[in-house]
Amino acid sequence: MENYKKYCSAFTTTFSIAGAKMENLEYNKIEEWDSIGHMTLIAELEQIFSISIETDDVVDFSSFKKGKEIIKKYGINIQ
Amino acid sequence: MLLKNKTAVITGCNKGIGKKILEVFSENKANIFACVRKIDKEFETFINEIVKKNNNEIIPIKLDLNNEDNVKETSNNIINSKKPIDILVNNAGTIHTALFQMTTVDKLKEMFHTNFFSQTIFTQNILKSMIKKRDSSIIYISSTAAIDGNEGRSAYSSTKSSLIAQAKVLSREVGRYNIRVNTIAPGLTNTDMMKNNTPQKFVDELKLRTSLKRIATPEEIANVALFLASDLSSYITGQTIRVDGGMHF
Repeated sequence: MENYKKYCSAFTTTFSIAGAKMENLEYNKIEEWDSIGHMTLIAELEQIFSISIETDDVVDFSSFKKGKEIIKKYGINIQ
Repeated sequence: MLLKNKTAVITGCNKGIGKKILEVFSENKANIFACVRKIDKEFETFINEIVKKNNNEIIPIKLDLNNEDNVKETSNNIINSKKPIDILVNNAGTIHTALFQMTTVDKLKEMFHTNFFSQTIFTQNILKSMIKKRDSSIIYISSTAAIDGNEGRSAYSSTKSSLIAQAKVLSREVGRYNIRVNTIAPGLTNTDMMKNNTPQKFVDELKLRTSLKRIATPEEIANVALFLASDLSSYITGQTIRVDGGMHF
């Protein structure tokens, strides 16, 4: 649960969005989540979880949901 | 002391232009991650000497551009040091001389792997630290061969011109973080790599077509890198600076 809160906080900090709206968030579907916003989000997640996300995964990180699967690859379980 | 309190990452700095950049940056008080393919006694002795002279910190670190895992590991180690990175000099590279129709695709792939793809991965990783820090400088070492297209250098020129293009695009993308990205295109420079790969006849002919009638010293290239790394070039980005003694055709 702790990791989930941290994960959500990255989205809140980056896109100023909170609550249930986050679950359905997708890259390029909101104005704030453009390529610049995307890299800001990645940087935030890297800092929060002390991980370094590989470029292939940066490219694959296409939604809030997909992101959870990707972060799991780095040993962080988000539920 | 143009680089006091700054931390630089320099690749390929155990010989030639890279070694001189290491020396000049050290003289100007930068702390440096000195990335080399092999850390040998000679290199360690050299580092110890200049650290003693300049009273700064130089950390030698293995970087093998032919090994993608090592490139990722090294860049992650640098980021994980938590030292904010102010300067990145992408200097490491290899050369190949052969006519276009004697350049195999395998050789081209090898050249691109070392000179372009590995450096791309390295830069992408180091950039994460630079974006957090902001106010940084990235310098690519390309070559006049990338612009002039010398005979026998199709593979080398192609990889070096890719760096010019990448640097320009990157300068557009990271300018918002006050990160400047520039390229230096040295002409013929007095290094072992140049001497081992360029017939003397060509060197002699080129000197005649150079306003200053001589080839560059590594220090002359390093001084331009110093300028681009320092705040003296604070409004210069997206540029390719030829350092060629006035080479003309």
